[in-house]
Amino acid sequence: MSGFAAFVRKETTEILRTWRIWVLPGMLLMFAVTGPFLARYTPEIIGAVGGSQAAALLKAIPKPTYLDSYAQWAKNLTQIVLFAVIIIYGGLISSERKSGTAVLVLTKPVSRTAFVVAKALVHSLFLALAVVLGTLVTWGGTALVFGTAAGGPLWSSAMSWLAFGVLFISIMTLLSALLGSQAGAAGIGLGVFAIISVAGLWEPLTKYSPAGLANAPMVLAAGGESAILWPMVTSLVVSCVLVASAAWAFKTKEL
Amino acid sequence: MTPAVEIRRLTKTYGHKRALDRVDLRVEEGSIFGFLGPNGAGKTTTLRILTGLARPTKGTVRVLGHDVATADNAVRADIGFLPDVPGFYEWMTAEEFLRFAGGLFGIGRKVLDERTGVLLELAGLTDITTRIGGYSRGMKQRLGVAQALINAPSLLMLDEPTSALDPMGRKDVLDMLQSLRGRTTVFFSTHILADVERICDTVAILDHGRVVAQAPIDELKARYGAEKVVVEVGEGADELAAAIGAEPWAAKVERDTNDTIAVTVTDADAASRAIPAMVAARRLPLHRMEAGEMGLEEVFVQLVGGGQQ
Repeated sequence: MSGFAAFVRKETTEILRTWRIWVLPGMLLMFAVTGPFLARYTPEIIGAVGGSQAAALLKAIPKPTYLDSYAQWAKNLTQIVLFAVIIIYGGLISSERKSGTAVLVLTKPVSRTAFVVAKALVHSLFLALAVVLGTLVTWGGTALVFGTAAGGPLWSSAMSWLAFGVLFISIMTLLSALLGSQAGAAGIGLGVFAIISVAGLWEPLTKYSPAGLANAPMVLAAGGESAILWPMVTSLVVSCVLVASAAWAFKTKEL
Repeated sequence: MTPAVEIRRLTKTYGHKRALDRVDLRVEEGSIFGFLGPNGAGKTTTLRILTGLARPTKGTVRVLGHDVATADNAVRADIGFLPDVPGFYEWMTAEEFLRFAGGLFGIGRKVLDERTGVLLELAGLTDITTRIGGYSRGMKQRLGVAQALINAPSLLMLDEPTSALDPMGRKDVLDMLQSLRGRTTVFFSTHILADVERICDTVAILDHGRVVAQAPIDELKARYGAEKVVVEVGEGADELAAAIGAEPWAAKVERDTNDTIAVTVTDADAASRAIPAMVAARRLPLHRMEAGEMGLEEVFVQLVGGGQQ
């Protein structure tokens, strides 16, 4: 257990002392800060640069509300941040195999299961913290720009996406335990995302499986209704199964 | 007494390639054991199996009395290991890495403070505060040896520990390993014969995945030294050397600057009967005739073939 705790400390310190602290939180903060302003002023900007035709078109479009800011946030999470997660975590396990650091750690009293679980756990928490921070900034920015910002749609959207993001960290944990190539794992991860997105169009899967989380953040952020309890529960269960499978796969590998 | 390492009929195959072929090895507790072999002989594979990083195809491997196939954290807690190319977290400093390694063993803060200081000094890294990413290969190797000792292991396994070091660094590491004699079992692989000759008490020679010799180093040299005969005559050494060289039992004849002839023989009995007769037939004064001692290098070359090094 002491080995697990020491490895969790290492993984956390590594986030704080390397590029990892800048990439995901930086990306999320940038979207969080700019999102509300873009949602509020995009029509004006288009009107200013688009001439009289654009101005006439914009008159037909309803005035932006705080829900547009939330939709912007949800769109960034589902379309850009998720891709970043898939690419960044393609080498979660394999990079340590390649660099030889796994050998020095795993010949000490740290089991391979502890190695895999610690990584999945720390990076899921890291993603959760970054998303919560970004959502808080979006919330504050939206209130500032629009004068009103109901919390429900934003937080239900962000939390449903977080469950989806954690699912993808688990998928990438398994893929990076199975494959030596970060690019290969990321490629398959993107393929899995495409399959889940398509599966999300079929209602029975949307109701009960993690596929329901593919579109739910957008629907919720726009103030719509989406039953996400079951998709979130199954998503967390599947995440645990994926991490357990990653630990098993890593155990069978020779280093 | 339970041996520190006991390997029985260990075979490891990768596809059709047989990396290890029925290897038997026994490393006694407290010994400094040199695991010699040319590149590609299977030394690293053996160490990877001993540390649980790879699995045997056949055979049994016991480390500190435990089967490695079922070895858990308790066994790893008693082992120190340095791979041939150690990989470090490059964003850490040497001190941070040693503290991290100690943390993995659950070593208490007070003991860890003490050991970290001693090992940093031993590795010559005390005043280095830069990150490991900026270290030379030699510095990394010395840090690798230090981290392998952080848990004061009962068994220290090192893969080519001196290969990346300069002469001073090599001497420091060898002195350090020698200082562990009797307290820790040291098992290290190398292709540097001088290192083995200097500090090891027992040696095994691996070639093409097979152990071709295993014995205490003195015994090994004596065993193969008996296959060498040194003859010293007062005069006529050139003619005698030529005559000996023509005999079927003479594998190699070397002439010294004086009248000494060193003969590597394939049949010591035949040589010991024939040489005095050859000296007497030429009426040469025989000053000396004895079994010569082979150096480890000669033993090694004889066992694995000179063409491989």
